[in-house]
Amino acid sequence: MPRRFGPYGGAYVPETLVPALEELDRAWRSARRDPEFRGELGRLQRTLGGRPTPLYFAKRLTRRGRGAEIWLKREDLLHGGAHKFNNALGQGLLAVRMGKPRLIAETGAGQHGVATAMIGAALGLETEVYMGTVDMARQRPNVERMRLLGARVIPVREGSRTLKDAINAALRDWITNVRTTHYLLGSAVGPHPFPTLVAELQSVIGREIRRQSRRAFGRLPDVVVACVGGGSNAIGTFHPLRSTSVEFLGVEAGGPKGHRVGAASLERGLPGVLHGSYSYVLQDRNGQVAATESISAGLDYPGVGPEHAYLKDTGRARYVAVHDEEALAAFHWLAEDEGILPALEPAHAIFAAVREARRRPAKERIVVTLSGRGDKDLEVVIRAAR
Amino acid sequence: MRLDDALRDARAAHRPSLVLYLLVDRARRARVSGIARAARDGGAAAIELGFPFSEPIADGPELAAAHARSLAHGTGWPDLLDTLRVVSRILPTAVMTYANPLVRRGLDRAIDEISGAGATGLIVPDLSLEESPPYRAAARAHAVCLVLLAAPGISTERLSRIARASRGFLYLVGHYGTTGGAARGATVDLRPSVAEAHAAAPQLPVLIGFGVRDAISARRTLATGADGVVVGSAFERCINRTATTSSVARFVRSIAAARAST
Ligand SMILES: Cc1ncc(COP(=O)(O)O)c(C=O)c1O
Repeated sequence: MPRRFGPYGGAYVPETLVPALEELDRAWRSARRDPEFRGELGRLQRTLGGRPTPLYFAKRLTRRGRGAEIWLKREDLLHGGAHKFNNALGQGLLAVRMGKPRLIAETGAGQHGVATAMIGAALGLETEVYMGTVDMARQRPNVERMRLLGARVIPVREGSRTLKDAINAALRDWITNVRTTHYLLGSAVGPHPFPTLVAELQSVIGREIRRQSRRAFGRLPDVVVACVGGGSNAIGTFHPLRSTSVEFLGVEAGGPKGHRVGAASLERGLPGVLHGSYSYVLQDRNGQVAATESISAGLDYPGVGPEHAYLKDTGRARYVAVHDEEALAAFHWLAEDEGILPALEPAHAIFAAVREARRRPAKERIVVTLSGRGDKDLEVVIRAAR
Repeated sequence: MRLDDALRDARAAHRPSLVLYLLVDRARRARVSGIARAARDGGAAAIELGFPFSEPIADGPELAAAHARSLAHGTGWPDLLDTLRVVSRILPTAVMTYANPLVRRGLDRAIDEISGAGATGLIVPDLSLEESPPYRAAARAHAVCLVLLAAPGISTERLSRIARASRGFLYLVGHYGTTGGAARGATVDLRPSVAEAHAAAPQLPVLIGFGVRDAISARRTLATGADGVVVGSAFERCINRTATTSSVARFVRSIAAARAST
């Protein structure tokens, strides 16, 4: 598995974590070739997760765009309500294989925490989830879900009290309990091998898009669109299509209109080291990590997976930032046009996809990964509408 | 005096070395020279001057809070260089910083600047052996010792490679956990690690840090055969508690006087 994507990636971690990262790397390399492990993973993806998720033609949303056809990859229908299940299941099975009885995770929107709690319960592993108190307040339904699923939610009161600080707290826990604990990192970020491991586990999204779009309209889409927080649903969408001519569009959170950086690490950040890998980071000139802001907790992160940094630099993918107000508008479009309440994270991607559709002829096809459903965000959306 | 010379001489003389971690904080500027002198008078061998970082993942609550306070006071790179000029005239000094501030400044430029301000050592807690080659090269070019960290749980083979690549001393992390406090996980027998490091790099002093906080823990730590200890969180606590340099000196003396307990 690649340790670097061009100059990006690597493993900038305290030595205490190196044995665990090496063990994870070895475990994944042997598991991915093991028919028994793959069989178990596939079976649980279907029977517990509900895969494959459908590819849906959004006819009325397409009409709104008055251009290219818009199709939705329905990861919002996956067990738990987001793509996070794909990764949590795979890493949970790896934890069992490595004999680790305890899972820890960070969560921003709460979706990764919920997915980890579900897998922890299903596999009989003790589960503790770190979550910033700002996020606990704005994603309360998910806090309750995690608790009902038997996980302990540990509030994080440091720093900006959001996703970045939850990752710091999880890393400190891991440094302390590394022999008994697997850190089930929720995005394609962090030290090697996480960016590669998470990308491979999320690639089921792109593989299904490849198969389903051939069946639905006889060829590959012209462009695929996905939101980028740490970048896991996006890399899972892009990866299996990387040697085709399909265009990639990643959508970051621009934050409230007028905010200096939002959470758009690729657009407004500089290369640096955050949470164990070298990638784009929102930071000041002393290398201190910047305070981010976004209406969506899952995109509110100052870093991004290293493979996206590489895709950006090489021009293989384009990245744009979408503001809070635009994401909210797209939330309502999808609700009213298609009867689907999206999570605020993929609402960013929906906005960018509609804008993209306007610029493209009707014969072109856009596939957007609808990474999660919106139940968790109703409070935020209703408050914003007032 | 240089960091490497000071620690090597002490090892040759079988004199345990005490290294103290001091975080740069703009609000502390006026006290720094007094603190460094008290450290020297109390018997410290060197100072590890910490540059604050917004995401100090290897630090426990005590030092993490100190990093946050320092940044809230507006501490920046120029403050590091100012403090370094003061402290390095009093004791051999290493800079300790997470990787990103160096990356942002530019590795070569950053190390050139700290070297110019008197640093003879550099410690980067989130730098694994695999990522260290460019840092080692840049440090060598500016006559700065890049001190590598080793941790419990790593293989003998890896520990030997780290010991051979480290300069100035080998920083052996004393427990599973972050800086400060007692280990939450089980305590580790460090004797085999110290012996392996000495076997791999016979000239290189081995110092143990993370969790050493008083004379008792220092004695216990030195019993592993280590050449010295690093004290961070407890020193930070001491500085914050007392205003007088004499009580700082007293704290330092109590640990510096520690010898291996058997
Ligand atoms: C529904 C949903 N989409 C997207 C994301 C962003 O994560 P990533 O960029 O790793 O896909 C999250 C994160 O919490 C999420 O909950």
